[in-house]
Amino acid sequence: MSCGRPHATPCTQVVASLTSYIDGEVGAEEYRLIAIHMSECPPCEREEQMVRRVQALVVRATSQAAAPETLRARIRATIVEYDVNPSQDAPRE
Amino acid sequence: MSEFTDNAIAEPTQELSDAQLASIFEADALVYLDQLYGTALRMTRNPTDAEDLVQDTYAKAFAAFRSYKQGTNLRAWLFRILRNTFINNYRRAQRQPMSDSAEELSDGQLLNLEQRSAGGVRSAEIEALERLGDEDITAALAAIPEDFRTAVFLADIEGFSYKEIAEIMETPVGTVMSRLSRGRKALRELLADYAKERGLLEDAPVRDGGDRA
Repeated sequence: MSCGRPHATPCTQVVASLTSYIDGEVGAEEYRLIAIHMSECPPCEREEQMVRRVQALVVRATSQAAAPETLRARIRATIVEYDVNPSQDAPRE
Repeated sequence: MSEFTDNAIAEPTQELSDAQLASIFEADALVYLDQLYGTALRMTRNPTDAEDLVQDTYAKAFAAFRSYKQGTNLRAWLFRILRNTFINNYRRAQRQPMSDSAEELSDGQLLNLEQRSAGGVRSAEIEALERLGDEDITAALAAIPEDFRTAVFLADIEGFSYKEIAEIMETPVGTVMSRLSRGRKALRELLADYAKERGLLEDAPVRDGGDRA
């Protein structure tokens, strides 16, 4: 992927770091180099937008369901049992 | 960003009574119930199984809480127990038709995508994906390998760092990055396929000035 113009940071390097770049997992200097590249290279910039869009779609489609109150109560009851009856051994894995 | 801060336990757990330990566990670990349940629901795709999985997770976590290393990330620790419990108890039992060996499956798919990317991304593709319904996104997420899906959820929904995901999935950071990258690419390919099936995206290169919804 390239717009055909030469870049200080090659497209291959930018594409390889794209995931880390988007997730904020690159250092400040690498971030700066990639950001500059993005401003100069429309194909890489579109690639970035595409990844961000897929990310946003995943968030949009994922409903954050709250746990049922009955589940919370069951778990709490298990813990409180130990609270009240501390001599009991915890089950081992 | 509180998402990324460690929820460390200040007290030395070694010297605590069982009752104190239970009280600390209840206060510190139950905070993550909704998040763990949401993830369990996405893993099992079934509310009953999700509840059982979360209950098992808390039982195991509580049993191991005395040996929990203070100062490490409690949320990541709970998610790791959740995932291990899922793999041990549920994934085998479910016998899902999809492949779960992510690393093996996607090379051909990846190559396909690299070739596609060589032509650059058409903005029409972005627009088409935006118009897909949530049920298509959910279907695409269900269709990718579990290792990819979990990495994507942990990063994009739960906001874990690569290091934290590496701890949860018990894999090197480089593998986390690879799973995320390939997971998102696989999702994109599936979503583009769905968009074509729905007539939102043409197979042939789209001319500029295509109609917007």
